Amino acid sequence: MRVRVENVRFHYRLGEPVLKGVTLDFEGEATAIIGQNGAGKSTLVRLINGLLKPVSGEVRVGDWNTGDFSVARLARRVGLVFQNPNDQVFKSVVRDEVMFGPKNLGMSGDTALASSREALADVGLEGAMDANPYDLSLAERKLVSIASVVAMNTDVVIFDEPTIAQDYAGVQRIGTLIEKLKARGKLIIAITHDMDFVAEIFPRAVVLRRGEVIIDGSTREVFSRPDLLRDSFVEPPHATQLGQALGLSETVLSVDEAVKGIKGHRSRLGGLAGSDTAHDQQFFQ
Amino acid sequence: MRTISLYVEKESFIHGLDPVTKLWLTASLLIIPFIVGNIESTLVCLGINLALLSVARVIRRIFSILAMSLVLIITLFIIQGMFYGGNRTEAFALGSLVFYREGLRYATLLTLRFFNIISASMVLILTTRPSDLIESLVRRGLSPRIGYVLASVLQIIPMMISNTSTIMDAQRSRGMETEGRLVTRMKAYLPLMAPLVMSSLVATQERAMALEVRAFGARNPKTFLHEEIISRHALPIRVLTSLGLVAAVIWRVIL
Repeated sequence: MRVRVENVRFHYRLGEPVLKGVTLDFEGEATAIIGQNGAGKSTLVRLINGLLKPVSGEVRVGDWNTGDFSVARLARRVGLVFQNPNDQVFKSVVRDEVMFGPKNLGMSGDTALASSREALADVGLEGAMDANPYDLSLAERKLVSIASVVAMNTDVVIFDEPTIAQDYAGVQRIGTLIEKLKARGKLIIAITHDMDFVAEIFPRAVVLRRGEVIIDGSTREVFSRPDLLRDSFVEPPHATQLGQALGLSETVLSVDEAVKGIKGHRSRLGGLAGSDTAHDQQFFQ
Repeated sequence: MRTISLYVEKESFIHGLDPVTKLWLTASLLIIPFIVGNIESTLVCLGINLALLSVARVIRRIFSILAMSLVLIITLFIIQGMFYGGNRTEAFALGSLVFYREGLRYATLLTLRFFNIISASMVLILTTRPSDLIESLVRRGLSPRIGYVLASVLQIIPMMISNTSTIMDAQRSRGMETEGRLVTRMKAYLPLMAPLVMSSLVATQERAMALEVRAFGARNPKTFLHEEIISRHALPIRVLTSLGLVAAVIWRVIL
């Protein structure tokens, strides 16, 4: 499924533009949308799932212009996981909560149940099917809200701050889920402030600043522009910052890459300096 | 934090008065016409209220409110004009519909009273921040707990309105239809209300805990962040309105 955002302008109040002619094309690769609060990220994804309609320009999901379809109709193609799970959870049993979306899309009871079971297994909550969502922790409720959108089996899945309230295991679980969805051919878009997560999971990143796209490229390219990121109040992953501080020639995205880069750097310096002590001193200077 | 308020930020003599004086002024101008009970006193109070709104440069705000009540006023004139219990003297007839002077006069009195209530209330509401009014009342002995309840209601309602919109968006994003037949809209009610009520309860509980950890329940006397400024016009206004009330009572008793 391809999503095209063409020269979209949007404002909530006249004279206060939120998006100023944004053009983006999403197809195939998972994309992270990053930027400071108020940059227009949430507005952009609400335009994609039809909750908002552009003031000018157009948003196309496949061959559908979002302006021509209701949100309920667009939900067949675009699933949006909201930031706060408490904004959507209303059933007294997790299974019913997760089946709500699939049933709205017209799935039969059996299909909806099977899809919900699979989605809950994907987020590691297969054992909580009969639990009351309000007996779960906030992190688990967030996973329930993710499962309830994944169970809808839409071609496009949008996450708004998926790792919020999650511990390390939860973040890993969501990362694995996104990888699974990517493997199933889903188009993934996520808004996040978790740059380590972006570096690990998303091959493409889009940086928004005050309603405009200031960088759109591979995650490595994006994180190699600390000057632009600083202006957008985005801090690259720690491993990337370390690599940049050490003067590594390549932009690194993970600890493993940083270690590899440092080792390579050391061996190059080692070749020049001759001894470990000498090249360590030279390197750390 | 947003609160429910019709307060209009302006620099004026009325805005500069302390909330309790304005409360006293409003209450007096609202009660006097009921004590005296005639059209003339109501007209005088209404005139004073409109003058105060004009001085505060907020008079335009009440026109829309008065315009909205037009249907009610017309209904009042029709019903009272034709069916008031004391109707004796025919004023005019529209075909077979006969309107009487007594009924129309009574409808005029009710209408003026209604306008007076609205304009007197607006003198207070449009020129006073709710938080300032509550703080003034707490200074004068209102329990801080009740003051907090009043203030939090004003804050929670806009928050609930905002939450309602977000929750509705979240459910529509899961394919829930919210438009169309009555049954469809009724069905959308539960997925909206349950998260709204739950999140409001959770927010209220968290707010209460946040207050308690900051010693809100401590029994020692509370101090205030801001010093209260009493305008030099406050005392004359309170004296004048008190005299007005006394005069109204004397008028009522003697006549």
